[in-house]
Amino acid sequence: MKGLRIAVLAAAVAGVVAVCGVTRGPVHAAGQNPTMETPPAKGQTAIDPGAAIYEKRCAVCHGTHREGDLPWFPPLAGISHRLSAEQITALVHSGKGRMPGFPSLQGTELEQLLHFLSTAPEGAANASKAAGEAKPSAQVASGEALFHQNCAFCHGRDAMGGETGPDLTQSKLVLADKNGDKIAPLVHEGRPETKMPGFNFSNEEMASLVAFIHSRVQSASEHKGSRRGVSVEDLQTGNAEAGKAYFNGAGGCAKCHSATGDLAGIARHLQGLSLEERMLYPRNVPSKVVVTLPSGETVTGTLAYRDEFTVGLRDANGTYRSWPTRAVKYTVTEPAEAHVELLPKYTDDEIHNLMAYLQTLK
Amino acid sequence: MLGCAEDVRKKSKSNSKGNSGSFAALRMTRDFLRIRMRFGLKRRMRATAVLGLAAGVCAVAAMAQNLEPAQIEHPAADSWPVYHGDYTGRRHSALTQINQRNVSGLGLAWAFQTNQTASIKSSPLLVDGVLYFTVPDNVWAVDARSGHQLWHYHRPSTQGDHIGHRGVAMYKGWLYFTTPDCHLISLDAKNGRVRWDKLIADVNKGYWTTMDPLVVKNHVIVGVSGDFDNLPGYLRSFEPERGEVQWQWDATPPAGTPNTTTGGMTWMTGTYDPELNLVYWGTGNPTPVLNGTTRPGDNPWTCAIVAIDPDDGKLKWGFQVSPHDTHDWDAVETPVLVDRDFHGKPRKMLMQASRNGYFFVLDRTDGKNLLTEPFGPVNWSKGIDAQGRPIPNPDKEPAPDGRIVAPDEGGVTNYRAPSFDPKTGLFIVDAHPSWSLYFAKPADGYYGWAGADYDVWGKSQIEAIDYQTGKLRWVHPVGGGSGAGVLTTDGGLTVTGDSTGNLLILNTADGKMLWHAGMGESMQSSPITYMLDGRQYIVTGSGGVLFVWALPEGVGAAHSAAKGR
Repeated sequence: MKGLRIAVLAAAVAGVVAVCGVTRGPVHAAGQNPTMETPPAKGQTAIDPGAAIYEKRCAVCHGTHREGDLPWFPPLAGISHRLSAEQITALVHSGKGRMPGFPSLQGTELEQLLHFLSTAPEGAANASKAAGEAKPSAQVASGEALFHQNCAFCHGRDAMGGETGPDLTQSKLVLADKNGDKIAPLVHEGRPETKMPGFNFSNEEMASLVAFIHSRVQSASEHKGSRRGVSVEDLQTGNAEAGKAYFNGAGGCAKCHSATGDLAGIARHLQGLSLEERMLYPRNVPSKVVVTLPSGETVTGTLAYRDEFTVGLRDANGTYRSWPTRAVKYTVTEPAEAHVELLPKYTDDEIHNLMAYLQTLK
Repeated sequence: MLGCAEDVRKKSKSNSKGNSGSFAALRMTRDFLRIRMRFGLKRRMRATAVLGLAAGVCAVAAMAQNLEPAQIEHPAADSWPVYHGDYTGRRHSALTQINQRNVSGLGLAWAFQTNQTASIKSSPLLVDGVLYFTVPDNVWAVDARSGHQLWHYHRPSTQGDHIGHRGVAMYKGWLYFTTPDCHLISLDAKNGRVRWDKLIADVNKGYWTTMDPLVVKNHVIVGVSGDFDNLPGYLRSFEPERGEVQWQWDATPPAGTPNTTTGGMTWMTGTYDPELNLVYWGTGNPTPVLNGTTRPGDNPWTCAIVAIDPDDGKLKWGFQVSPHDTHDWDAVETPVLVDRDFHGKPRKMLMQASRNGYFFVLDRTDGKNLLTEPFGPVNWSKGIDAQGRPIPNPDKEPAPDGRIVAPDEGGVTNYRAPSFDPKTGLFIVDAHPSWSLYFAKPADGYYGWAGADYDVWGKSQIEAIDYQTGKLRWVHPVGGGSGAGVLTTDGGLTVTGDSTGNLLILNTADGKMLWHAGMGESMQSSPITYMLDGRQYIVTGSGGVLFVWALPEGVGAAHSAAKGR
């Protein structure tokens, strides 16, 4: 790509400019040359008028796919996340460093360019590193680049789990997703309870991200025999009888739970790792709170917020109410706390046995 | 002096070629700087007036936005010249204007909106009235008095992890900025223009960089990140003027060396003892991360504290806090340098509250262990060996059917900085008691992560550790999971944050709440403080906003006998 760009540059404007290209010197002359026209690269459709303006004015330095050429020319992929339209406009008009200004870019032309810069580039991504996989589509490749920058630290570069973040190829939400109907809202909103931040991606970028995630699900399912991550088969090492004894005895589970009551059929609803995580510590179990106001009145509801300074609840009508903690007395009943008390007591065998027992509750 | 500095800034802009003042003026500047280091603010102001008369504007001109390495060694109260505030990593300030008696009057001085979705995870530098701070791909220079932006450097990168950024380093009039795609960029502190751009590592191999370099004498020392590939971690020292590589210290052997480990990433800023001329650095986990079978033995120097000669990059000593780690517990947390008695004997100590759940005290002259005590739940070791290192329990290595392990993969603490308070002798750290499940099986392979782990449960609390015993003096709960670092001051204050976005100021002696303010998003950085124009400021990040706090103008001026830090 770099070669092509230099070649085009050299062919289009002879003399000084070509030397500039080779020596990576300033390219003011090239950028401002009104006769400079770069034909659309192969396979590129130049229907988008903004893309045409980009090709003409910007691509010579910033690359056909906005990939840039560091350290000389910054990439422009994803620029709209980092700069506002006003900031981009200011840069385009006044230039920066060796970048020339384009003060004549105004009105519709400017808008078209800004729109183009806010869309996801095609083919700017790294190819998937996994061996033997077919070359991904341009959309999947864009999604992969976006995923690597924003998601890979937690979910792994291949979306199969990494530091803290779950394996997305086995995620119920991902498997239930149709064209982003589940993934997109979650990515936009984030998951505050698990510290996943929200991301402000454009529709096009989101589509590419969703396409990449689905391509990972597809390729993971093609390698079933030796698949990575935690599968249901991995969690069959316990002894159900010993687990039942622990449930009713040392574990103290039976104090709150019953195999024929609240846990009846639990193994039908939850399998594998989801069941084990739920068993060890059920997240988002509502806690009950009773608040006593200075008047002596008590308000009861589901704990909705608590920090050192504020306590909030939802009452039976679903109304949210909150008070400064210094002004009221309150008692929180957290049923899940008993699970925390067990964590330091478990042996790994006890966990595997308990898991084996729960898996019999179908 | 302050108005003068403003003028100077304008002047230096209009006279950009005027860097070379006369010899006499330079000498005056040097003398001025010496006086500046030796005296407090009031005296300094007087001295400035005198000097201003004697040397004229020119001498001061050369000093605007300028930082001599010697100033990092003895930071003035009106500066925060290096990531941890000074070379010791104590993140303790001698400022007392804001104190236990008047903290209730604390309020917002100004806020700066980065307009970015990325959270501020950097510690700003403060030099000559200008704050410099970062998020990935971005550096800002902001007037520390008003929050007015002087410049913004933006360098978009499509490669490398954009997980966070810790800030810039400074040498003379130049800043040093690391990028997700592993470039070290030197910027002109006056205007954010690029002076040079050097490669730290190859992003295509799987490295990325987030860290704030450490400037020691004429060395800009830089570390690397990268856990998804089997790559050796290293430190690289760059010459500050031209960016030539001076030396490189490798934490682990080259990838592919049989029966050895890779890893040992150096992704947080170290500390420095000028007397011993040693730089102290924490190194990250080995790779493959969760599967240790291809890397038998202790895997030096991963999960270790190392002492390195900053002039040649040679290792003086190393101490592994997690031999043969299989849980991703980087030992990159601040190696805090403290000189005082340990069990009745004066010692040059190094303290680390490590991600693996243990608090360590070492003799930093030779790396010998003085104390190893857990400061949160740990169930992965069989005890402590003769050298003071935890002995990993093979039964708690990740397994196909899972192992329950404390702490979780994020550890009992992490990148958020602790603080050492000299008055109380307390080491104060944002701790995360936690439990998790660790899995690994042959199908996960022997490359990169090589397994899976899942957090089960955790909570966050500020802990005050008695360094003589490792026991907790007090604990202050801060919710589910906080990322805030800690600052202590001679005003008796501990500044930190909770998991719901409150800025907290606690009484250092007992951990009791003194003052708080909701910032909207939990702090992901470590607070800093400084004194300007006789007013003490506390700087905290929250999401993409920098909040700067102070007492109302005029209040506390009576106490403005600004001591050095």
